[in-house]
Amino acid sequence: MSLAGLPKRIIKETERLVADPAPGITASPHDDNLRYFDVTIQGPEGSPFQSGVFKLELFLPEEYPMAPPKVRFLTKIYHPNIDKLGRICLDILKDKWSPALQIRTVLLSVQALLSAPNPDDPLATDVAKHYKENEQDAQRYSCTQASATELTYRIHSPGIFQNLGRWPFSSHYQSGLFVNLWEIVNVWMSR
Amino acid sequence: MTDSDEPPALFFAGSDDEEAEMAVESTELKATESSISSQVEHRQLFLPTDSDDEEEDIPIIPQKRGSSPDIHHEDIDEMDLDTIDIPRATSVSASSMSEYISISSDSEEEAVTRPMKKKQVSPPAKKRRLSPSFALPSPTDIIQFPIYVGEFLVPNAWSSISGSGYVTTNDNVRIERDVDYSKTSEVSTKGKGKGKEKANEKNGGKKQVSIKSMINAQPVKAPNKRTTDTIVRLVTTRGVEFGRLPQEVAWWTSKLLDLGVVELRGKMTDCPSKLTIGANLIVSVDVYLLRTAFMPVNVAESDERPRMFGEGLETDEEKRLRERKSAVLKLFEIVGLKPQAGVMAGHEKSERELQEDALQISHMSQTKPKKHLEIVGDGEEVEVEDGEDLSKSDLDVIYKRAQHHDQDMGEMEAAESFTLTLRGYQKQALFWMDSLESGKMNAREAKSLHPLWSEYAFPAKPDGGFIDLTEDEKPFYLNPYSGEMTLNFPKSERNCKGGILADVGMGKTIMISALIQSNLGLDEPVHQTLSSKQRQLKLNNALQPAKNRKNSPPSATLIVAPTSLIDQWAEEIERSSKPKTVKVVVWHGQNRGDLDVVLEEDDEPGFTIPIKIVITSYGTLVSEHAKAEKSSSPVYNVEWLRVVLDEAHSCKSRTSKTAKAVYALRARRRWAVTGTPIVNKLEDLYSLLKFLNFKPWSEFSFFNSFITLPFLARDPKGIEVVQVILESILLRREKNMLDSGGKRIVELPPKKITVENLEFAPMERKIYDSIYDSAKRNFDQLRAQGLLSKKYTHILAMLMRLRRAVLHPNLVFTKNDERALSPLGDGIVDVNEMIKKFAENEEQSNVFAETVLADLDDQAEGASECPICLDVMEIPMIVPECLHRCCKDCITTYIATCEMKGEETKCPSCSRGPIKQSDLVEVVRPLPTSQNSQPDLVLRRNDFTLSTKLTALIHDLHRIRSTDPAFRAVVFSQFTSFLDFIETALDREKFDHYRYDGTLDVKRRHSVITAFKEASTKPKILCISLKAGGVGLNLTTANHVFMMDCWWNSATAIDRVHRLGQDKTVYVKHYIVKNTIEARILRIQKRKTALVKEAFRGTGKSTGELDSIENLKIMFGES
Repeated sequence: MSLAGLPKRIIKETERLVADPAPGITASPHDDNLRYFDVTIQGPEGSPFQSGVFKLELFLPEEYPMAPPKVRFLTKIYHPNIDKLGRICLDILKDKWSPALQIRTVLLSVQALLSAPNPDDPLATDVAKHYKENEQDAQRYSCTQASATELTYRIHSPGIFQNLGRWPFSSHYQSGLFVNLWEIVNVWMSR
Repeated sequence: MTDSDEPPALFFAGSDDEEAEMAVESTELKATESSISSQVEHRQLFLPTDSDDEEEDIPIIPQKRGSSPDIHHEDIDEMDLDTIDIPRATSVSASSMSEYISISSDSEEEAVTRPMKKKQVSPPAKKRRLSPSFALPSPTDIIQFPIYVGEFLVPNAWSSISGSGYVTTNDNVRIERDVDYSKTSEVSTKGKGKGKEKANEKNGGKKQVSIKSMINAQPVKAPNKRTTDTIVRLVTTRGVEFGRLPQEVAWWTSKLLDLGVVELRGKMTDCPSKLTIGANLIVSVDVYLLRTAFMPVNVAESDERPRMFGEGLETDEEKRLRERKSAVLKLFEIVGLKPQAGVMAGHEKSERELQEDALQISHMSQTKPKKHLEIVGDGEEVEVEDGEDLSKSDLDVIYKRAQHHDQDMGEMEAAESFTLTLRGYQKQALFWMDSLESGKMNAREAKSLHPLWSEYAFPAKPDGGFIDLTEDEKPFYLNPYSGEMTLNFPKSERNCKGGILADVGMGKTIMISALIQSNLGLDEPVHQTLSSKQRQLKLNNALQPAKNRKNSPPSATLIVAPTSLIDQWAEEIERSSKPKTVKVVVWHGQNRGDLDVVLEEDDEPGFTIPIKIVITSYGTLVSEHAKAEKSSSPVYNVEWLRVVLDEAHSCKSRTSKTAKAVYALRARRRWAVTGTPIVNKLEDLYSLLKFLNFKPWSEFSFFNSFITLPFLARDPKGIEVVQVILESILLRREKNMLDSGGKRIVELPPKKITVENLEFAPMERKIYDSIYDSAKRNFDQLRAQGLLSKKYTHILAMLMRLRRAVLHPNLVFTKNDERALSPLGDGIVDVNEMIKKFAENEEQSNVFAETVLADLDDQAEGASECPICLDVMEIPMIVPECLHRCCKDCITTYIATCEMKGEETKCPSCSRGPIKQSDLVEVVRPLPTSQNSQPDLVLRRNDFTLSTKLTALIHDLHRIRSTDPAFRAVVFSQFTSFLDFIETALDREKFDHYRYDGTLDVKRRHSVITAFKEASTKPKILCISLKAGGVGLNLTTANHVFMMDCWWNSATAIDRVHRLGQDKTVYVKHYIVKNTIEARILRIQKRKTALVKEAFRGTGKSTGELDSIENLKIMFGES
């Protein structure tokens, strides 16, 4: 697809995303639709999602940047503000959108959302309930789910056992987020 | 038709030299004679072997002229027949004539033989005797009567006797009417056979009445003798009646024979060898016109003659005339004579063919490609509200004829007092005007056929098997309205001095000024009807020397012009004349002085009398006219030498006060100056003709009968008559016409017209669409209810609203609407004030604000990026509360989007809100000028939104300024409210601009134009309301034209700039917004051409209405 008809701003943003990616975030446009991006976000350090790598899709509508981009998790995630379909409850993706925001800032905000789930403004009500009733258990569950994601990711890529430090059974041990590898494998198998 | 004169004429082509002609005569004559004789051998049997007709006839004359030679002489002189000189000729027709026996009225022999004798006696007398009024030899010189005009076949004549031996096939027969029986018997003694013919003629000739009595008596005789009898008899050469023509032929042939119009020579084509009563006879009839046919018909004045017959009671005279007319027309129809030129040229009389002709004309207008289709709002002379009767191409057709001879018209130098140099075509115009005023025959006029006449050519007689190709066609003329015929060219008469100067953009003002100075009218006769009457009444007064002065011929010129052009006239006249040679008085407004004083004061002998020119307006004239009707008014008391109406179409409505006021002026010479003598209807012309007193067309009933009615009846005659009228009184050249050398008469610099199709900004599109949708709903509703024509004005109002919405959304919002931003001044914001305001509102430090604002300067190097488009900010906009910046386009779009969604408007960078469009501050970076290469930044409040068109305009103006720092541009719009916006936009962009609209009084108009024209190093822009400034103004200082909206008449508006005096290329730009009503208006304009066809078909009114609705449907995308 040619660049013709694509607003200069989108081209610029894309170039910058490629040239200077935000840490833990990748975004690359589809060849056949430059408004459609494949996105991965690494779970932020110190969050229950630390060990996960999440796939998202991002689409820039016609009105962009006057209208916010559409962003959705493709990877399952156990998060009170993200529902089963991957839809995200984030104000800047809705009424707080400003054309001064960009793809990069949106994705950083999503990443930040993973660090700071907000069960008071839930999208997935059951997850929010879980978080409210027993935060640690909920976090542990989120972690297991995220780790299973990571497992998938690792199985499909070389060096499966490298950088084990990101795995919950090492560094997270102290934080009480320790999860049994078996559990992770179970979750992974059940998918 | 006469070989005796013809051959010399051929050999001495172009020579009128009588002597030469005479000298060759004898030899040449013989040569031709013999050639003819050899070809028509059988003839020779009946001729003396070695004689030509001349010799043959000559001896006859003295005998033949018989009883009253004196009377003949006298009569013929009176009748101007003295120039006939060639009866001796033996043309083919003449020779064949001798085979027949002529019957009917024998006067032609008189006519023919009589002048022949003259020639014999004193050949050079011909020249001397030429009527002084004719420069050319009279056509009667060279035509011999009776002259063949055609033949027809009567398949159903019938025999009135029985028996055999009377007549056989191929016998010649006489076709005659019952005359007095005494006469009949005499006549019947004539023509005993070919050999005896001469003898008969001798005898018959003696009995004939004189020509004078023929002519004068006939009209009396004919109606008296038989009113109903139309019997036409067939008589053998021996004088025995054997049959009659059938009634359908007899009704008209009888009239023609009675009236001495024709001679009929029959030949039996088929008949039974033994006749029985009622037996069918087939007769072929050759028709010869007699000299008497070309005599003036003896009735009342020519002005009255063509009145509509059947109006009121018909006198015997009129009845006779009418019968003659219909008989003549019938004859022409039957023998298939068709006019070569004039009223009926190319047109048959049958109803069906008339319709075809009408179609042809409409085809003409259809197939003729419009030259200016690419121009928006072409149709120069057509205004939409007045219907669309005549298209541009139709007008072209009408004018074409008047323009025909213009290339090689003579030129005339202006008087010495005239200071400017006239161009070639202007000298031609001067020559033309001068000759019209002086009543001189000018080049064009001599060639113009009188509008009521048609030109015919005598057909060659096919008899004898050859046609003399060397022979020139002799034309003769028929007036189909009266049945009159003549051999003399009926030239278009003029009885008014003056005409219509309809040049387009050629410097009409200058030409009139040259005329005023060059033709002083000093040789005008002193007295005039009115004053001579007065003198008779008041003899005492007339004898007083003081009053005598008043009886000098009128010398002053009155110019009547639209108010806006008065000053221009005065200026132009003064500019074009040496000081003190003219005295121009603008007589207008409250302080108009005593006209008498003005006109008389310099009238002392001994001084060089300046030429007096009074300029007034139509408005003044109307009020003076009202005054004159009650008491008296100086304008109407004065007899003017010349009255000139500028933009004379102002009085096109004959019933208007203006028109009546101009008709009432007393003047020797009258000129109507207008680029559009026909605005859109043929009647428009009437008013001008009335003013010019161009008889007979200045009588409305006359104009109506011959122009309007035929036109409405789809008869192309109407247009043709107009063409002929215009040919004699109208001068119309266009800029693109070529002179005799093939060069353009006016070398104007090129005119480049571009149409820029713009795309609405999203917000404008939204607003427009919503207005359009509601208008369309409304329209559909009305349409469903069938109320379209009733609510027409309502719909028009909706359309106007749409048109305004295209220009600027704010034009359609009411005052209380929040969007109707009222810009305050130029919106300049002081930087320090801004910092102060920022500091007041917020606890943030001044330092930040100062940094931000100081940073603005650095942006000149392109450092800063707009957070929305990520591009360098071209026109940064500052949100005053937080001093965040965005591009102007980005933030306005954003705010618009938010408003559309009903969301709060916030600063995109910090979400501070709400922010308002009008609060934003724009950073304007003036373009570097020669004085200041690094001009200071200017902050300006964004309380004015440019619409798509305004943005385009401003953009273009900047672009022009970058190459031409002192350009002049003219911006036209139909809407004065939009002109307000344009002015605001120009204000904000720091362009010098001027405004010209209908609200300005004369003085201010004048000062605006003067200021605009004044030299300056800066660009100047003149905003003109199309209605106020579409005509007349001369704005050649500018060479950029911007048409902001669609207007039917844009061509004339552009001509304000692209006209004489313009030396630069003129750039014209039309702004059209895509997918709006504007595109549809363009479609309607194109459609107009097609509509003309309808104008020819139906009556104006109903189509007009249907048409309007049709247009509405286009507007709303229905068709």
